[in-house]
Amino acid sequence: MSDPALAQQMPGQRAALRSRWLGYLLAVIAIILLPLIFTDTYWRTNLTVCAINVLLAIGLDFILGYTGQLNLGHSAFYGLGAYVSTLLIVKLGIPFWLAFVAGVGFAGIAGIFLSLFAVRLRGHYLAIASLGFAVIVHQILLNWISLTQGPLGIYGIAPPPALVIAGTVIADFRNLAAFFYLVAGFAFLSYILLSQLVRSPIGETLTAIREDEVSAASLGINGAAWKVFAFGVGSAVAGAAGCFYASFVGTLVPDAFFVSEAFNILAMVIVGGMGTLIGPVFGAILLTVLPEVLRGLGDLRLVVYGAALTFVVLFMPGGLAQAARVVREKLGLRRSA
Amino acid sequence: MTTTIVLQQAINGVVLGSLYVLVALGLTLIYGVLVQINFAHADFVTLGAFAAYFFMHLVGGGYILSIGVAFAVGAALGWLINASIFTPLRRKGNELLPLIATIGVSVMMQNLMLAWFGPIPYAFETQYSSEVLRFAGIFVSWQSIIIIAVSSLTIALLYAFMKFTFLGKALRAVSQDRETAGLMGINPNQLIMLTFVIASALAGMGGAMLAPVLVLTPFAGTSVIVKAFAIVIIGGFGNVEGTILAGLIVGLIESYTTQYLDPGLIDIVVFALLLLMLAIKPTGLISERREENV
Repeated sequence: MSDPALAQQMPGQRAALRSRWLGYLLAVIAIILLPLIFTDTYWRTNLTVCAINVLLAIGLDFILGYTGQLNLGHSAFYGLGAYVSTLLIVKLGIPFWLAFVAGVGFAGIAGIFLSLFAVRLRGHYLAIASLGFAVIVHQILLNWISLTQGPLGIYGIAPPPALVIAGTVIADFRNLAAFFYLVAGFAFLSYILLSQLVRSPIGETLTAIREDEVSAASLGINGAAWKVFAFGVGSAVAGAAGCFYASFVGTLVPDAFFVSEAFNILAMVIVGGMGTLIGPVFGAILLTVLPEVLRGLGDLRLVVYGAALTFVVLFMPGGLAQAARVVREKLGLRRSA
Repeated sequence: MTTTIVLQQAINGVVLGSLYVLVALGLTLIYGVLVQINFAHADFVTLGAFAAYFFMHLVGGGYILSIGVAFAVGAALGWLINASIFTPLRRKGNELLPLIATIGVSVMMQNLMLAWFGPIPYAFETQYSSEVLRFAGIFVSWQSIIIIAVSSLTIALLYAFMKFTFLGKALRAVSQDRETAGLMGINPNQLIMLTFVIASALAGMGGAMLAPVLVLTPFAGTSVIVKAFAIVIIGGFGNVEGTILAGLIVGLIESYTTQYLDPGLIDIVVFALLLLMLAIKPTGLISERREENV
């Protein structure tokens, strides 16, 4: 502690750690309270949709914001997770959680596969390759009628089995609040996992690759391998969102995973603030709730949505995360360091 | 009999392909000059189709003139959107933001059209669709002949413009190296605007000619644009000759897949080809040398 710079740095780090735990605590309280505040079916449904979208957004942000891989096909991994888990349950009678693991694994492996293939492509080529992958997955779901029933869809998908401990039902997932706790809890754990990963040396490696891959390579960092790793993790998280979506909605149609869904997820990440994990969480919530709030506008609601998206990009390019930072600095809550 | 089918489908493929070329050329021009992917391009196609439809049904104009109207509407709207949204954004110098803005603009345009025109498909028929020329067992509608004539003329004009006029050369100079072109006294901003207007006009015109083939709803352009992206990549981003070649190939793939396999497989075949291209030769059919600064 003789180094004065280090001595000064330590309390700052401790404060950061404390505020992080405070943040986690607030998140847990919010997750517990939300379904108690919003008790009607409509808003409880939206809450769960929010949680699913949060999973999608943080997964994509991990790929896009931390390794700079422009993935325009996130809907594909979402759809693969949903269809693989559902088909295993419906066709083979495999228990839900085993099918869940399979769906997550399949989506992750598909992401690794695409990334391995695309890792030598840069920027816009990867963008179009991933878009192409999403189009192919959507078309396969639509046209492999003997397996997926195509546009007719799969109906009557059961919710996850009730959580029973020692003969007592702890949580019955036919209940909307219980389902929300399940998905939000999972999203919360994924968030902690990803944010620990981002803060670890791995995260620093990823940032180095994003900022300048050539310089990173000169330090002996294998950029390609880490990009593939990040892509796999992000797609696996999308796969989990897909499994939850299928069992929550109870119906699967291929059009839920059209490329426009990938654009929606991308918009959540950008509006929230790419490259921060917390930003996309709020981006996902905002862009899920906004179209619902605007429902009174009828046909014009998505026009307003599109305009809002353009407006954010024009005037708040760092998204909600940047806006929050500006507000905090204005209020003087942030130390000048 | 089989040769007739092969020939018939070849003609259908070329008709479709030349329309895809019109749409994809706009994308590739914008990419060449701006290094930007434009998702709103799809909606210029849709808007062109609607402009032609309403010009014929409300004003009572002829079909060929309506193609010109769609061209003008595309150009005007291209100018408006570039001036109001994309130009201010480019000054911020981030490459991802304009991409997201094009998604925002696309959502806005699609839903404005949905609010105005409704979700029910419009039947777009021209007097030329039913008039058919027949020779050696092959049918060619006048509609197809008009499409091939107008699009090849447009493509030839564009090509001549790019190759032989001063503006066209300046445009190619900017797409090769924006900074150096700027040092040579070329104003990149004016050329960006020009590119945007040309691209949007081509998309509008393509829409007017695609309308009889498409199911004309506010979302009609999306199905075209996805293929146009594939074409742009297969042909090599920013490469005009490659785009023309790839557009015709994709048109032919579509007509032969419909004939011999299943119409539902079209996109799968096209995008499998795209991924294959990316695996083997990511620079496209005709590659241009492009230096990358490290």
